[in-house]
Amino acid sequence: MTALPGQAPSDGIRGDTGAPGGTAAGGKKAGTGKKAGTGKDGRPVSTTNACRMCMPLGACLAFAGVEGTVPILHGGQGCATYIRRYLISHFNEPLDIGSSSFDESATVFGGEADLAQGIHNLVTAYGPQVVGVATTCLAETIGEDVPQILTRIRRGDAHLPEIIGVSTPSYAGTHADGYQAAVTAVVEALAGDEPGDGVTLLPGIVSPADLRHLHELAGAFGVPATVVPDFSDSLDGPIAAEHPRLRPGGTPLHGLARCGGNIAAVTLGGLAAPGVANAGELLHERFGIEHHRLPLPIGIRLTDDLVHVLTLAFGHGPAPWVEAERGRLVDAYVDGHKYLSGRRAVVYGDEDLVVGIAAFLSEIGIRPVACASGGRSGNLRSALRTAAPELADLEDLQVVEDADFERIDALTRETAPDLLVGHSKGYPTARALGIPLIRIGLPIHDRLGGQRLQHLGYRGAQRLFDQIVNTLIEREQSSSPVGYAYM
Amino acid sequence: MRKVAIYGKGGIGKSTTTQNTVAGLSEMGKKVMVVGCDPKADSTRLLLGGLAQRSVLDTLRSDGEDVELEDVRSAGFADTMCVESGGPEPGVGCAGRGIITSINLLEQLGAYDESENLDYVFYDVLGDVVCGGFAMPIREGKAKEVYIVASGEMMAMYAANNICKGIRKFADSGGVRLGGIICNSRNVDNEYELIEHFAKRLGTQMIYFVPRDNNVQRAEIKRKTVIEWDPACGQADHYRNLANAIDGNDMFVVPAPIHTDELEGLLLEHGVLG
Repeated sequence: MTALPGQAPSDGIRGDTGAPGGTAAGGKKAGTGKKAGTGKDGRPVSTTNACRMCMPLGACLAFAGVEGTVPILHGGQGCATYIRRYLISHFNEPLDIGSSSFDESATVFGGEADLAQGIHNLVTAYGPQVVGVATTCLAETIGEDVPQILTRIRRGDAHLPEIIGVSTPSYAGTHADGYQAAVTAVVEALAGDEPGDGVTLLPGIVSPADLRHLHELAGAFGVPATVVPDFSDSLDGPIAAEHPRLRPGGTPLHGLARCGGNIAAVTLGGLAAPGVANAGELLHERFGIEHHRLPLPIGIRLTDDLVHVLTLAFGHGPAPWVEAERGRLVDAYVDGHKYLSGRRAVVYGDEDLVVGIAAFLSEIGIRPVACASGGRSGNLRSALRTAAPELADLEDLQVVEDADFERIDALTRETAPDLLVGHSKGYPTARALGIPLIRIGLPIHDRLGGQRLQHLGYRGAQRLFDQIVNTLIEREQSSSPVGYAYM
Repeated sequence: MRKVAIYGKGGIGKSTTTQNTVAGLSEMGKKVMVVGCDPKADSTRLLLGGLAQRSVLDTLRSDGEDVELEDVRSAGFADTMCVESGGPEPGVGCAGRGIITSINLLEQLGAYDESENLDYVFYDVLGDVVCGGFAMPIREGKAKEVYIVASGEMMAMYAANNICKGIRKFADSGGVRLGGIICNSRNVDNEYELIEHFAKRLGTQMIYFVPRDNNVQRAEIKRKTVIEWDPACGQADHYRNLANAIDGNDMFVVPAPIHTDELEGLLLEHGVLG
C-alpha cells in the first residue's frame, strides 16, 4: 500500500548503481543478502522476474468463483488482456474480463464515465447477477475514488445488478492479496446469516480439484460446504456444445446468504499483506459465527487439523473413507520413506501454499532448505513455525518474503537441493541446475492440467507423495549406467 | 474523533490559520493531529518550532516500507501530533499521488486508531482540489467537515467557490460537509460583509473573521503560533475564538457554488467597488 512505484532516487540516499535497473516492478522492501540491482544499503531496488502476479489478477480469480459474476477492471485494456491470457493458459477455460478501457483522456479527466459505460455494456451483454469491479495501477495512481463512483453508478440506475468493488493497485500487494481482498469484498456485500447446518470454507488460492475435494470432505461429515470462492466448475467445467455467455458454477448466491449462519467458518491459509481484511474474521465480527484459521490442509498433520475442527463443530467424525485414505497415506509414507529421508527441497510460490507444502515435505522426511514467496505478509516465518514446529529448529532454513526469481535462483544454487517445488516459473532454474521441478500451484503454463492438480486432503498428499517419490526414483534410475527395471 | 480538512487559495494563510487554531484547541485540552498535505511540508512548522521532521514520503523513499508511526510523527506545541506528507520537488513526479500514498500509510500504521485517543485530525491541504490526490482527505471515511480559508480578494473567493464544487461532488455520495468559511482578513474594504454574504450565498456561514495583525508575522518569524509566542495578545484570543467556534459548530451543509457572474456581482455590491 505504500510502495513508491518506480521512483528514482533523487536525493542520493538510495543506490548508486544506476538504479532503477532491470524491470522495476515495485514492491521494494528490505531483503536479505545482496543481488544485482541492490543499492548501497543492500536493499533491492528492483524486482527481476517476479514471484507474484498482479493484484487484480487475484481479484478476477475470486470473482470468477462467485455465481453469475463477471469481473471488470477499471483500467487500461492491456490489464484485462494480460490477466485473461495468464489465467486461460493455466485453466484451459475461457474467462471473460471486462475493462473500462482507460485511455489518456480518462487519465486526465478521470475515468468515471468509462467505468459507468463499461458496466452498462457488460450488464447488457452478459446479464450477470453480480459485477465485480477491480481497480488497476493507473486508476488508483491518479486517485480515482472508485467506491464513490460506484455509489453514483448504482444510484443512476436502479436496475443494475449487485456491484462489488475492490481496490487492487499492484504496488499494494500480490495476486494473493487481491484474491483475499476480493473474497472479503464479496463476503461483505453478499454474506447473510440465514440459518445453515453446514460449514463455510474460505481457502487461499487452490486448484479446482482442491475445491471439489473440500466439498467432498465436508460431505464426509454429512454437511454441505459453502466454499468461497468456488471456481471448481467455472474454471474447470465439462465441455459444452454452446459457450454460455455467463459461466456456470461459482459459490451460489443462496450459499453466500447463509455463510454467516452456518455452524462454523474456517479460513484455510489466508496469509495476506497488512491492511487486507480477512473474510472469516469479518463473518465472525458481523454474525458471531465460530471462526477458525488453519493452514491449507496439505499432508497428514494439517488435514488432521481440519478434520479435527470439523469433528468438534459437528459433534461426530467423518465417513469411514476419510480414515481409510489417511491410513493408506500413512502406509505409503512408510513404504516410501527410504527414498525420501534426508532429501532437501526449495519451495516457492504463494505464501499459503508454501506453508502447507513445507509442512508436508517436513513430515515425509524432506528438509525444506528455503521457503520463498513474492508475498509480503510479514508472517511467513511464523506461519511456517505454527504449521510445522520442527522447522523452527532448522537454523539453515531460509525464509524469504518479497522474493523474485533472481533471488530464488540464487537460493537454489546456494543450497543445491534435490527438488524444487513450485509453479512453472521456476523451470529455467530447474533446467539450468538439473534439479527436478515438482509442479504445484498457479501458474502451470508448461504442462497440461494445472487445474486438476490436487494438493489438499489426504488424497492430495497421496498424489504429491507418489509424484515426489517417483521423481526421485526416476532420477536415480535414469542416471544409472545400468538400465534397471527394478528399483 | 472529528476529521477536518482545510482548503483555500494558495498563500491565503491556510497553514498559519490551521496551526494557530490547533494551538487553541490543544490549549482547550483537545488531542489533535495535524496532517500536512502539501509537498512543501511546511504545515506544521509553527507547532514544531521549525521544519525539523522528515516527511512520510521522504521516510518511505529512504527507509522502504518498514516504517513505524514514530518515524513520521512528531510531537509539537501542547502535545499536538504533527505529520507532513511531503512530496516530490517542484516540477517532478505526482504530488497528488503522494498524498494518497501518505494517508494510506498513516491508516495502515494505525495513526487514527481509537487507542490514539484523538479528538481532532486536521488535514491542511495545498491550494485547490486540483486532482484526485488532493481530494483524498475528503473521501468517504476521512474528513467529514471542511473549512475554507478565504479573504475579500476576488481570486480567494473564486478559489473558495471552486473548492465548493469539489466538496459538492464528494458530498453527493460521501459524507463530507462544509462547516464554514474562515475569513483571514486582508483589510479589503467591506470584507466582513462581503464574506458574510458570500458564505450565505454558498449556503454556509462565515464561521469567524480573523483580523489582520502583524503579531502573526512576528510569531511566524519565531517559528511559533501566536498562542505560544504571546498568549496574552489580542490575536491569540481571536484564534482561541476560532477554535471555540469550530469546536461548537453544528452547521454542516452541502454548499451551493455560485456562477462566476454572480460572484463578480457580489463584489460589485459589497466589495471594494461597493
